[in-house]
Amino acid sequence: MATVPETGDPRPPEAADPVERELRAVGESLAAAFPHGSRLGLRALDERAMELATSDQELRAALFRFVDVAPACRSLDDLARHLTGFLAELPEGPPPPISAAMRVSGSRAGRAALGAAAAGGVRHLAHRFIVGESPRGALPTLRRLWDAGVASSVDLLGEATVTQAEADRYAERCLEAVRVLAAETPAWPPRPLLEADGAGPLPRTNVCVKISALTPLLRPDAPERGQRDAAARLRSLLREARDRGAHLHIDMESLDSREAVLALVLQLLGEEEFREGPSSGLVLQAYLRDSPQTLDQVLGWVRSVPRGSPLTVRLVKGAYWDHELVEARQHGWDVPVFQDKSECDRNYEALTRVLLDARPAVRVAIASHNLRSVAHAIAYDRVTRPDDPGDLELQVLRGLGDDLATALAAREYRVRAYCPVGDLVAGMAYLVRRLLENTSNDSFLSAQASGAPLEELLAAP
Amino acid sequence: MTATTPRPSSLPPFANEPILELRRASVRAGLEDALAAVDRELPLPVPVRIGGEARRASDFTSTDPGTPERVVAQCAAATAAEVHEAVSLAARAASAWRLVPAEERAACLVRAAAWMRERRLELAALEVRECAKPWVEADADVCEAIDFLEYYARGAIELGRGRPLLQVPGERNELAYRGRGVAAVISPWNFPLAIPCGMTSAALAAGNAVVLKPAEQSPLMASRLIDALRAGGVPEDALAILPGAGEAGETLVRDPRVHLIAFTGSLPVGRSIVRAAAETSEHHFKAVIAELGGKNCVIVDGDADLDDVVPAVIGSAFNYAGQKCSAAARVLVHEAIADQLLERLAGAVRALLVGQAQTLGVDVPPVIEREAAERVARYVGIARETGTIVAQADVEEREGWFAPPTLATDLPDDSPVLGEEIFGPVLAVQRVRDVDHACDLVDSLSFALTGGLFTRDPAVVRRVRERTPVGNLYVNRGITGAMVARQPFGGNRLSGTGLKAGGPDYLLQFVSQHAVSENTMRHGLVV
Repeated sequence: MATVPETGDPRPPEAADPVERELRAVGESLAAAFPHGSRLGLRALDERAMELATSDQELRAALFRFVDVAPACRSLDDLARHLTGFLAELPEGPPPPISAAMRVSGSRAGRAALGAAAAGGVRHLAHRFIVGESPRGALPTLRRLWDAGVASSVDLLGEATVTQAEADRYAERCLEAVRVLAAETPAWPPRPLLEADGAGPLPRTNVCVKISALTPLLRPDAPERGQRDAAARLRSLLREARDRGAHLHIDMESLDSREAVLALVLQLLGEEEFREGPSSGLVLQAYLRDSPQTLDQVLGWVRSVPRGSPLTVRLVKGAYWDHELVEARQHGWDVPVFQDKSECDRNYEALTRVLLDARPAVRVAIASHNLRSVAHAIAYDRVTRPDDPGDLELQVLRGLGDDLATALAAREYRVRAYCPVGDLVAGMAYLVRRLLENTSNDSFLSAQASGAPLEELLAAP
Repeated sequence: MTATTPRPSSLPPFANEPILELRRASVRAGLEDALAAVDRELPLPVPVRIGGEARRASDFTSTDPGTPERVVAQCAAATAAEVHEAVSLAARAASAWRLVPAEERAACLVRAAAWMRERRLELAALEVRECAKPWVEADADVCEAIDFLEYYARGAIELGRGRPLLQVPGERNELAYRGRGVAAVISPWNFPLAIPCGMTSAALAAGNAVVLKPAEQSPLMASRLIDALRAGGVPEDALAILPGAGEAGETLVRDPRVHLIAFTGSLPVGRSIVRAAAETSEHHFKAVIAELGGKNCVIVDGDADLDDVVPAVIGSAFNYAGQKCSAAARVLVHEAIADQLLERLAGAVRALLVGQAQTLGVDVPPVIEREAAERVARYVGIARETGTIVAQADVEEREGWFAPPTLATDLPDDSPVLGEEIFGPVLAVQRVRDVDHACDLVDSLSFALTGGLFTRDPAVVRRVRERTPVGNLYVNRGITGAMVARQPFGGNRLSGTGLKAGGPDYLLQFVSQHAVSENTMRHGLVV
């Protein structure tokens, strides 16, 4: 078993630490490669709205409630009524440009105009994050990314699974995505950096699945029940991925389902028929206080179960922070996530080092938009493997990390964009989570967008 | 002069008892052992306990609804003479107990809470057996009992200080609260620890002596409550338990020396208690605090997020087989999304796991007894004949009082399935033109306990909040699981007579008020 260091373990002073020195160099080189005028972050179009939302928590809530309900509105009139309803609840009243919009909402024609404008806004926002309504529809964007030196991983957005029929439909959509992509991607031009690492070839087709969508029976107090039910569907996905040479990645969701997801994935990947494939992976959430123990468990499994291609571990901060905090507070439980951002960032770096040290038994994917976290992983890899660096993948979210992806590709790092696919209704939960993350006060991206100096962005947490 | 500023309580601020974090394997691991330990002890005796006396007998039993041949408790049934004796003793004890300082009465409750806290898994395991409460629900019930003890302890201290009155020179005005005397508590089986605990501890905290007649289906849990309170220091004479059938309760209610009756149960029994209380009051009016049934509706507007609606409605309707007065019985859904919702609800009902309460992950346990299963079957029959059964979950269990979770629609407006409390796992869906139509339907009911609303329009929330007659409205969430101090619980119309349990005013029903005005002028001197 690997021993995972406690977070905040003593490290040499920054100047003397070769990783810190390297990190600064990497960070500066990446910053210089960001697209011109991007202020290291968000593109100008939505920047104003994002800044407004970040600076005013009430307005942020109103706008997100609107984005959330938009696809469920039955008419432009209905849409406008919801929008003005949310804005009317602001304690300070809406900001001037918005109150002008509200004045026109007194008439039916005014509401229709406002509704149309708002619907356009939401669609625009959604298209920034969601690459297409179907896998086929997503192909042009995925191809453009590939041409620009960015691999992709397709995530099928969907409504919650509450029935067996919905679980079947989701599994069918995943199968279709594997088939469509596996049929199309061989025609793409070679990109050696994206197609192989030290452990062997990397599939061009890469699809993510969510266990909560593969069964309606996930119960936090009875993980075995959902596990059993999802197993049959996950097996058919693994077979399809294996037969078509695709990578299948299993996402992690809230803590309520972690035990079921982890147990299921390790069980199935250990089965005889999947020993030689497909390439597969899971997710480690660094915001969880007990994530070092989870990583221990995964690495223990990896060492005891030899597979044809190493398990990919995608290291994320975690996207359910508010949910975990609220749920724990409502029930009087210990909060399972770090509440201090720097504590979380330090844990992320500690887990990064353990993961990189565990190669080649695992493949490592560092999924972060935090320039410091990304530079840290690259620097640690270079310092610890000076002769053969680069067995490392960086991942970004489509729509949020586009500029970072561009910079990484320009500096010839292996980078993959996580690309959600689905319709607007299904995509809203995802979209709202991303927006929340992006506009929270301690968000790295909002710090970047507001023009914090590079020195600050690269400072040790 | 002004009233003295209240002293800070010696107790820390109230917080809800944390439920078990059953998503963690290490926490789940303890459950099996707790159940095995309890099983080794069964059946347990439940005597009639009056003062220091305990009379054991095997007059009746309580059994495991999932395995009816398993006897959980062997119980003595209280006789009419024992009822009389219990009230006599309580009447004497009450005059002493109300003079005990509120802080000390509160301390007894807090110690009783600690006693329960030390035995949480054991108490939950007993509920799993005696009432077929699944672990999650059994644990929540034990936590709620602890919450009531802690909450009313604090309320009693506050009440003990009286309320400030206007003071002018030359007089001293005081408003004090005093226990009424003998409280008869008649409790149900569906929250077999929390509900008797809430009513009993409120009465005790306020300075009354209590005679408790628990439901005949759950005497053991009520007996454990007596253990806790006596271990906490409540005098034996001030707290008696009379296990038995309805007759014991009726004799108790009609005893003229009883000052107040706290009852949770069905509307017909509630009515008969109100009537009996009026007829048998010679020296005082008996106060009746009754929590009765419900026919609870969830309104789903066209803009609702069905991803949230389906799990919340399914949980509210079918958890504990729908045997909660707060359970969802009807869904009133906007016609624009009705087909979609019905299809998803149907699939979710078919996915429900019906099984034994002790199996983690079981969604729907058996109902409490044979009569309950037969009653549910009767209503399902009516729904089949006069409407459409959209979905039912399979019942594979052979023993036990299982009733299949059922989703029905297309029922005529006057259907008993839509108007009467079934108290079982039956959910009816109706299409409405809009939210106002739904509000009209809710308004036409004589029950008004809980209600739900799913919408993302703040204006609709405002409108329904203003219109609804229900005692507890839940917006964009399930409609069961009221928490002490967070969702004070109780209904209006025929759903209840009283102020809300677990809320700031509940104790007021258990006291009489005494205003004293003293002249402080003597020969021109203010003394």
